[in-house]
Amino acid sequence: MTLVVGLPRDERATAALHLGGLLARALDEDLVVVTVVPPAWPPGVGRIDAEYQEYLDQEAAEALDAAREALHGGVAADYVVSRARSAAAGLVEIAQERAAAMIVLGSSTAGVLGRVAFGSVAERLLHTAPVPVAMAPRGFRAAADTVVEQVTVAFGGAAHDTELAVAVAGVAARAGAALRIASFGVRPRTPLTAGVGSHAEDGIVEEWAHDVERAQQAALAAVAELPAPPAPVSATIGRGRDWASALESIGWGDTGVLAVGSSSEGPLERVFVGSRSSRIVRHSPVPVIVVPRGSAAALAAQAAEDR
Amino acid sequence: MGAGTLAGPAPVNRAPAGASVAERLRNFGHLSRPDGAGHGTRPRERMTRAADLQGYDAELTARLPPVCNRPVTDRHRLGKCPIGGSSRSTASGESDPTGERKYFVATVLQQAFRRKSVAAMTSQTGDGEKGSGELARSIGLFELTMIGVGATIGTGIFTILSTAVPLAGPAVILSFVLAGVVAGLTALCYAELAGAVPVSGSSYSYAYATLGEVVAMGVAACLLLEYGVAAAGTSVGWSQYLNALLGNVFGVQIPEILAQSPEGGGIINLPAVILVGLCCLLLIRGASESTKANAVMVVIKLLVLVFFIAVGITGWQTNNFADFAPMGFAGITLAAGNVFFSFIGLDAVSTAGEEVKNPRRTMPLAIVLALVIVMAVYIAVAAVGVAAQPWQKFEGQEAGLSAILAEVVGSSWPGTLIAIGAIISIFSVTLITIYGQTRILFAMGRDGMVPPVFAKVNPRTQTPITNTIIVCVVIALLAGFIPIEFLYEMTSVGTLVAFLVVSVGVIILRRTAPDLPRGFKVPGYPVVPILSILGCIYIIVVGLRPITIIVFAIWVVVVLIWYFTYGIRHSRLGTRA
Repeated sequence: MTLVVGLPRDERATAALHLGGLLARALDEDLVVVTVVPPAWPPGVGRIDAEYQEYLDQEAAEALDAAREALHGGVAADYVVSRARSAAAGLVEIAQERAAAMIVLGSSTAGVLGRVAFGSVAERLLHTAPVPVAMAPRGFRAAADTVVEQVTVAFGGAAHDTELAVAVAGVAARAGAALRIASFGVRPRTPLTAGVGSHAEDGIVEEWAHDVERAQQAALAAVAELPAPPAPVSATIGRGRDWASALESIGWGDTGVLAVGSSSEGPLERVFVGSRSSRIVRHSPVPVIVVPRGSAAALAAQAAEDR
Repeated sequence: MGAGTLAGPAPVNRAPAGASVAERLRNFGHLSRPDGAGHGTRPRERMTRAADLQGYDAELTARLPPVCNRPVTDRHRLGKCPIGGSSRSTASGESDPTGERKYFVATVLQQAFRRKSVAAMTSQTGDGEKGSGELARSIGLFELTMIGVGATIGTGIFTILSTAVPLAGPAVILSFVLAGVVAGLTALCYAELAGAVPVSGSSYSYAYATLGEVVAMGVAACLLLEYGVAAAGTSVGWSQYLNALLGNVFGVQIPEILAQSPEGGGIINLPAVILVGLCCLLLIRGASESTKANAVMVVIKLLVLVFFIAVGITGWQTNNFADFAPMGFAGITLAAGNVFFSFIGLDAVSTAGEEVKNPRRTMPLAIVLALVIVMAVYIAVAAVGVAAQPWQKFEGQEAGLSAILAEVVGSSWPGTLIAIGAIISIFSVTLITIYGQTRILFAMGRDGMVPPVFAKVNPRTQTPITNTIIVCVVIALLAGFIPIEFLYEMTSVGTLVAFLVVSVGVIILRRTAPDLPRGFKVPGYPVVPILSILGCIYIIVVGLRPITIIVFAIWVVVVLIWYFTYGIRHSRLGTRA
């Protein structure tokens, strides 16, 4: 198995490479670093395309050379130029060719430093990728000896969330990381004009938390039944007036990653980030891995067999 | 009924089951010293929150009639309830049928008047442990006033004239003064009751913490009218302005059959139903109104009304005032009962107490300021309205403010502007009113007063979906089939009785727990609460139609029957013990 790193052509490259390296070390996988160039047009009269194509190829080769230097930590990596009509299609094609376990991307430069921001490639992959997609926050760096210490899984309390938790637990166990099941209760302030006091929404969150705690316990039990569960395993609930403060409220180390499931409304086999997941992803201070439901099922089955 | 009846024939268990003997003795000591010697008042500001809450519960427990926290499930358990610990059996009660009956009554009464402790309230909102609960005191006088203005204006003023003016004639101006003064007095009393409970909530939760479960249930019966029926009333008004706008802009109106209640000559008021449906969707998705949104709405509402006044005043004809009070004072009071509807929302100021800077000073000032602004606007609108056309023309006039301007100016554009403003502001008022209703029922569901389905939160949207849908279906039915005047009057009677209970509650609490720390005290006690009570009674008795009062009485009886058959058994206070 292998991880595909989508290589951007600018300063974002380092973040994607460092995340790819970190995950490859944790999961003991190798990397395929991919840069995508547009395919050649049908030969025209002026042969001007060939010149342009040559220029693109040269650019790509330079980017890959730079990537070779940026990647550290003794991870085996393959460097590939893919010809495809779009970057997203090129990455998916290579991922399928190599039976990759994951596609790793950097954040858009339009985002805030230290937070995940979707670029155009990520937007597309987050709705269509057949494998999990990992996103590095903008400016992400990991030293050559950094390891993943904790995997947090965003847990909504629905039936397929337990499956996701089990799937992530299996991966966390393989990486030797702790597992944290986290749910986020987000309600705005109670509008004072309603005349019901300032705590009406807190009551809603508490009642929700009561239910979700039970679902978390069930997920914890399912994780404990795994032949090789991760250790330690914990559960937590973040609360806040908005997503940013709810995510912040549970605390994050420097060496964690966050896993979220794709929306229950999207297609089974593909990543499809719903409004909720996308908010969680955008406010995450650590790298995020979005897992399509199909992959979650496969990973959960694998976790149940792992010894 | 005095404390003697409540206490029942046996010693009272006021300490929790696991309390030590010393603790019980200490509590007993409080009982025997009703003057309160031995636990003086503490300066509220100096205390930590935890100590504050503990002190509060102790204070109330010591002062108020004792409570029994066992559920009424069967007579067997009933008999044991008032005993301090199960070691002393009720041999006498079981062998003597009359004693048992007396016992039963005493126990039910004790249960009906049990109070929810503030500690329980804080643990329910989760702020005791999570630390998110204590809100920064960040609201100043200006913002608080805007909250009052924003919550009040928009409920009724856009539509109330066409139902109120035919009752009083041009003297409707005095009806606004009368209703406004009573609303102001009650809001002050409300603020004291709210300030006596250190946790923020609705008047239902304040009544639960201070006056007992059955009173809270009665208040809740009123609140269902103040919120649920009010939302139906505002959405009917919204449908009128939507129709006016459609007529002005496209020259087409929704046919009468689909835009009127059956009594008004239609089948169903479809636009009103659709508005409620829209609000339902938004609330399920988790919509809410921020302070900023409120500020924007206040500006829109005031702009629209000031525009009406500015344009309408050009049509001022003093001879429309010639017959100032054609129905006499009785007519003025009748109209006051009607327009009281347009003052609901003023009490929202009182529930913000926990976040208000220097509440002792800010609270009364904000209530009075908001009232003055609202009253000034209402009186100006009413004066301009009745000066623009003879009072007989108001009857049956739909989307009144639009229609008046169209007449004054002779073209439709000012009416169109008013209609747009009204559609936006009535929409926001309806949304927030339905929101309030769902949250009150949510609180009741958590307390076991209504079935737990009302307290069920959907894990995905994190909103009480079933609750919202039930509330919206009922409101949509009311809005679709009941004429607007009746909705106004039902809302008015509910609000007035809720305020009446609150004002009485202030007096009771001053007598039973004089040393209880209060964030805010009514100025001019006892005159203000007494005036407030008299004002409410006067408007209810003289200002409302007998049918309204009868329907209201039936409604309260239904709710009380519900309480004594369901609520008293399922109360969380009972099942926890």
